[in-house]
Amino acid sequence: MTDIQFGLMTRGQFDADDDIRVRFTELMEQARTADKLGFASLTKGSHYSGYPLQDFQQIPYLSRVMAEAPNLRLNAGIVLLSLHKPQDTAEQFATMDVMSNGRIIFGAALGYREVEFKAFGTTQKERVQRFEENLVAIKRLWTEEKVSMVGSHFELMDASCPTKPLQDPHPPIWIGANADPAIRRAAKLGDCWYMNPHVRIDTIERQLDIYKSALEEYGKPFPTELPIRREVFVARTTEEAFRIAEPYLSIKYKVYHEWGQDKAMPDGDNDLGQAFAELQRDRFLIGSPDDVAEQVASLHKRTGANHIIASMQWPGMPQNQTLDSMHLLAEEVFPRVRQAI
Amino acid sequence: MAKKMKYGIGVRTQYPADADMSVAFAEQMEQARVADALGYDILMKSSHLAGYPLQEFQQLPYLGRVMAEAPNMRLLTGVTLLSLHKPLDMAEQLASIDVMSGGRLTFGCGLGYREVEFKGFGTTQKDRVPRFEENLEAIKRLWTEDEVSMVGSHFELDKTRLSLKPLQKPMPPIWIGANADAAIVRAAKMADAWFINPHQRMDTIEKQIDVYKRALDEAGKPFPDEVPAAREVFVANSRDEAIRLAKPYLEAKYKIYHQWGQDKAMPEGDNDLDLAYEELLEDRFILGSPDEVAEQVIAHGNRLGVNVLILGFHWVGMPQSLVLENLTRFKEDVMPKVEQGL
Repeated sequence: MTDIQFGLMTRGQFDADDDIRVRFTELMEQARTADKLGFASLTKGSHYSGYPLQDFQQIPYLSRVMAEAPNLRLNAGIVLLSLHKPQDTAEQFATMDVMSNGRIIFGAALGYREVEFKAFGTTQKERVQRFEENLVAIKRLWTEEKVSMVGSHFELMDASCPTKPLQDPHPPIWIGANADPAIRRAAKLGDCWYMNPHVRIDTIERQLDIYKSALEEYGKPFPTELPIRREVFVARTTEEAFRIAEPYLSIKYKVYHEWGQDKAMPDGDNDLGQAFAELQRDRFLIGSPDDVAEQVASLHKRTGANHIIASMQWPGMPQNQTLDSMHLLAEEVFPRVRQAI
Repeated sequence: MAKKMKYGIGVRTQYPADADMSVAFAEQMEQARVADALGYDILMKSSHLAGYPLQEFQQLPYLGRVMAEAPNMRLLTGVTLLSLHKPLDMAEQLASIDVMSGGRLTFGCGLGYREVEFKGFGTTQKDRVPRFEENLEAIKRLWTEDEVSMVGSHFELDKTRLSLKPLQKPMPPIWIGANADAAIVRAAKMADAWFINPHQRMDTIEKQIDVYKRALDEAGKPFPDEVPAAREVFVANSRDEAIRLAKPYLEAKYKIYHQWGQDKAMPEGDNDLDLAYEELLEDRFILGSPDEVAEQVIAHGNRLGVNVLILGFHWVGMPQSLVLENLTRFKEDVMPKVEQGL
C-alpha cells in the first residue's frame, strides 16, 4: 500500500499592523498541534522585504520551531538559493540538520523578485547560473572534507564544512519549479521536484511529463517521495469552507499577482489576478472533509504526489479557524484519504 | 566601580573533527539551561565558517534554537563577521531572533580576518572595512526606517522594506568587537559599545581604552552604560591547579587561533598568540582559585571599567562535567566575592 503524508506550511506572513509577538505564540501552538495530530513535516518559506506582510526569516524560525515539534521534518521550502553564498548555506543547514536530529529537508528555487536580487548584489539574469553552482558547491561541502571550486560569485579554496549534516549523504533536496526549464533542472539536480501551489493540477499533469522525460534523460528513477504544496482549508461543509477561506486567500493571491509570481508560471496558467471562483478551480483544496479527501485522493492519482504540504493560514485569518481546519484535516481527511488510495 | 558586574557565557560550540555533534548539541543545550538557571545574564555565540579542523554550530540557527532552552538570557552574536554578509539578510534574520526571543538580542559584529571566509563569500580582506561600515549603516536604517533606498558597493536597496522590525526600539544594542586601534575608533563612532576581545592582555586594553575614550569624545558620545569584554576563565582550588587543568584545552584553542591568523589582527606589542602557554595566559586569561578569580574580575572593573564579562568556560576537548563545574563554581564561589569586593 502506498502511503501519503501531510505537512503543514507556515508562511508566517501577517498584516503590517499585526502584533507579531502574539502571532509568534500562535505559530508555536500550530507547530505543537501539527506534531500531535500526526502531520509529517513543517515547512517555512522565505522572502525578503515582504512588505506589506510581516514575516519571520526561515533559518532562525525553523531553528526555533524544532524545539516545539520534535517529530516533524523541517522543510526549508524554499531557500532562494541564487541569493546566497554556498559556504553560508551549507554550514547553516548542516547545523540545523544536526540540531533537529536529521529532520531537515532542503528546498531550493530561483526566486523572482527584483528587490531581493538587488539587495543581494545580483540580478535576475544571473539567477540560473548562481543557483546551479551554489547547489553543486553545497552538495560538495556536505559530502567532501575539503573543497576547492571557483564560482562566479565565490571561491572555495580548501574550504570545509566541518560539521556535516546528520543525514547521510545529505538532507533531501527538493527543487521548487514553476517554469518548464526549471522542472528539467529539478530532475537533473534535485532528489525530487517540489510541485508548487500556484499552478492548476492539470498544468502539473502536463509538466509531470516534462519531469519524467528529463529524469529518463538523466538516467534517474522516479523519486520515491513526490511533494506538492497546495492551499488547503477544511470546514464542516463545503459552503462554510469557502465562506471562511475566500477572503484571506484572495488577498494573498492579489499580493502574489502584485509581486509578479505569475510571470514565472507557464503559458496558459499564468494569471493569478483572476476572479476567485475561477482561480480556485483545480488549484486549491477547499471543502468539507469528504470533498477535500476526494480532491486529495484525485490529486494523488493524477500526479503521484505523496506528500501534501498544506498551507492552511493566510494573512488575517484568526488562529482558531486555522486550528479547526488543521484538526478536521488530520482527524477526518487523513484517514479518508488513506482508505481511498 | 560604578556599576554592578553582569556576566555572560560565551559558547564557541567548537569540537574536534571526530566528535559526535549530536552529543555535542545535547551538551550545549545543557550548558545553556544550567547557565540560565544559575542566573547568567547573556549567552554569546561566536561565528566562524570553514573552521577546519574544528567542528562547530552556526551562529544564527544556534541562537534560534538555544533561546528555547534559555528563556531569561540575552542572546549575543559575538561576533557576526559582518563584512561577509548582505545587510538585508542580516537585518531580517536578526530581527526575527529579536522578536522570537521577546527582545533579547544584542548584535555584536566585527570584521573577520580569515582568507577562506572572505573568498567563500566572494570578497576580500581589502574590502572588509567599507563593507562593514556600509552594511552596519544599512542594517540600522532597515531596522528603523519604513523604506530604505541605498546603493552599497555590493548591494542595492531599492525602496526596500523590512519584513519584520526588531522588537527592541529603536533597535537591539550594537556592540563592535575590535582588536586594532582603528577598529576601536570605528566602534566608538558606530556602535553602542566596544566589545573588548578575549585575546589581548589587560595592559594592552588599558591603553586602548584611552583610544576608545578619545574617539567617543570626538564623536560627542558619552561613555556607554555597558562596557563588555570577553575573557577566558577557569576556577579551581588554586592558580596552579587552574593553569594545569585548563592547559590541554586552552593551549590547543590558541594554537588554532594562531594558525587562523587571529594575531595578525592584533596591535603591535601584543600580536603573538603562539607564545608558550605560561606566557600566553599572563594578564590575559582569568585563572585561579575563587579569590584570585574574583580579584581579577574586580581588576577588570577597576582598571578597565568593564561591567559586562562574557566568559569562555569551554575550549575544544574539555569534558562536559568540567565545563559545568567551572560554570557553577564561578557562579557560586566567585560572583559573591566580586559583589563583596566592589
